[in-house]
Amino acid sequence: MKKYMMNLMLFVLVLGIFAPMIFAQEDAAVQNYSIWVGGHYTDFGDYNKKVGEYRLGEDEFLPELEGFYQYRKADKFFRFDVHYFDNKNIDARALGIWGDRFSGELYFRSLIHQQGRDMLANMETREVGGGKILTHELLDEGADYHTDRYEFGGDYKVQLSRKNNIRMVAAHRTVIRKGYEQKIASSHCFSCHVTSHDVNIDKRTNQVEAGIQADAGEFTLGYLFGYRHFDSKAHDPVAYYDTAMHPVSELQSYKDEFPTRLNFDNVYAPYGTYPETEKISHKVRVKGAVGKGQLSGSVGYSQARNKKVDLSANTLSGALNYALVLNKKMRLIARASGSKLSNDDPRIDLADYREGRGGVQTEFYISDFDFTRYSALDRTDGRISAELISRLKPNLTLSLLAGFRMIDRADFKNLENETYTTKRFTGQAKLRYRDGLTFSSSVNYRFERTFDPFTSSKGLFESQGYDVLQPALYSVSGIDTTFTIFYYQREDLRYQNITTEPTFKHSFDMTSTYRPDMHYSFTVGLKGMYDKNNELDSLDVEHFSIQPSVNFTVTPDSKWSVMAGFNYNFNRSRGPVTVALFDG
Amino acid sequence: MVDYTTNTGNLFMTASFIPMYKLRLSGTLAYNKSTTELDKVVMPDISDRLDGNLEHQDYSFDQMHEYSNLDYELWTISIGAQFDVSPGVQLTADAEYADLNDALGYVYGNESGSMFFIRTGVRFSF
Repeated sequence: MKKYMMNLMLFVLVLGIFAPMIFAQEDAAVQNYSIWVGGHYTDFGDYNKKVGEYRLGEDEFLPELEGFYQYRKADKFFRFDVHYFDNKNIDARALGIWGDRFSGELYFRSLIHQQGRDMLANMETREVGGGKILTHELLDEGADYHTDRYEFGGDYKVQLSRKNNIRMVAAHRTVIRKGYEQKIASSHCFSCHVTSHDVNIDKRTNQVEAGIQADAGEFTLGYLFGYRHFDSKAHDPVAYYDTAMHPVSELQSYKDEFPTRLNFDNVYAPYGTYPETEKISHKVRVKGAVGKGQLSGSVGYSQARNKKVDLSANTLSGALNYALVLNKKMRLIARASGSKLSNDDPRIDLADYREGRGGVQTEFYISDFDFTRYSALDRTDGRISAELISRLKPNLTLSLLAGFRMIDRADFKNLENETYTTKRFTGQAKLRYRDGLTFSSSVNYRFERTFDPFTSSKGLFESQGYDVLQPALYSVSGIDTTFTIFYYQREDLRYQNITTEPTFKHSFDMTSTYRPDMHYSFTVGLKGMYDKNNELDSLDVEHFSIQPSVNFTVTPDSKWSVMAGFNYNFNRSRGPVTVALFDG
Repeated sequence: MVDYTTNTGNLFMTASFIPMYKLRLSGTLAYNKSTTELDKVVMPDISDRLDGNLEHQDYSFDQMHEYSNLDYELWTISIGAQFDVSPGVQLTADAEYADLNDALGYVYGNESGSMFFIRTGVRFSF
């Protein structure tokens, strides 16, 4: 990795150093160079990971370098910028343009992100007068959590032929994240034992795109291929799952019984692993004049696959936009889009409950908890909208938008075992006013009404006193005993759909700028949002936010310039709070 | 049902001043205050609805709502100067001080800290 990054940096620096020499041989070109050489010293007091979240976190003096080179001649342009802050914070970019034949951009940037360590201090409790406990253990004493992020990419456009304006486009991007992160593992039986571990991370994302486009009569046609791959090169973390046992009793029957209720017991097993994903996409685009308007559209297909578990998601999508000038003061923009997303439904394979143990079979006794996890992402999503933009006066513009969205989740059912379809109606009005350079203002209001928003079916646990479960009958040492209510029986008490999605939503956005002359400007803004779902039986879900802002700029003369501002953000969310019942 | 409230305020001012032809000064002052708060959770009294003896359990949630409360305050002040030694040669000097006050602490412990940063160098332009 280090060798790869060094080679990359070397390439970018060589490009920056030799490019001036190459271009300098030509006359009549305008060239600019600048290089800044210096250094910086950082000193931290107390905890440094929050105040120095994107710094190295050390008290030290470091050299620093910054510079650029720019070349311009006729239709040729080249610019190279570099900033070396420290060995973890580097930014370099090269941009080249050769008329309409070629344009390309190459960049490298890196940063460090410091992360704190969850001390797990709140995870500590013990049953009053009993042996059931929740404990935590920090196995990562002295760990330094941080992520080094490196990104390298490029974007290129080449004109292959002026006839039909045939162009090839290509882009690539690589993101590497290295460092250490905190992982939390939990094992439970009579005790919930939560452990903290420091884990090496080495995550790689590679993405390429390549395509071609050409003009054909009144239309421009294009095709774009995309590929993205994500993988973790670090070893999967492993944690020890405690031996399952009764908190107090030494009875052999308990020692035999408890492990049969858990998936993992007295074993080291991987946890918190990352997937290896691959996505391949194809997209065809078209745009051009149709009738008196401009049409643009696309059709795409993509397949994403988790190669570790061989699960796939397929998406077929399409979009169509049409912009039409109705008259000198009015134009219409119509949009329609749709997508169909289908996922593989994974089978969750769990250890059989109380496998090999005796006991009386009751209606509550279940030995096989295997299930199929159906995805809520399986959906057919369609949207249409129409926006009418009208210039009421030379300085006043009104825009009205109406939209409709429908999401059908055929594989996901609600409490009544029915598939349901979310329908959302949207209305929006926007007014813009401009009085020369002195005053400008815009006001925007948006309303959304949603029927049957997405809900987690039977997601709500029992209401207090909603029902009383019958204790399960089970055998201890060959004697049938009415013992207790098992945890899994609580599933029978789930009784209501739950969601945080609203059925009504109001959004408001206003901004005004007053500029009496070229020396002063004053801007005020206000954003607000309120949504609510009042169609739930037990829950009262609503969100409210408001964001006022004030900014002003004063430039009394050529020597002074002052900018100041204030913004405030208030958010309030109302939702249910649930507490895990801790009883072994 | 409980309300979770977030308040964030940002105040800033930047200024630049050219006292003489070869010297440019700049400065920034910023203040941020962020708080989040969960309303007190009033759990229902279920003692008369339980079908079983759970007296050994402690169902006190008096302080639960305080676990996620946050209260951060961040002051940042920076000043900078650029002096033209000669055409194409410029000396620069910058300083920045940031002070973060974590009044409540979070799962990471108390995150209060400060940072002092100075930078100087010379720029050559052609």
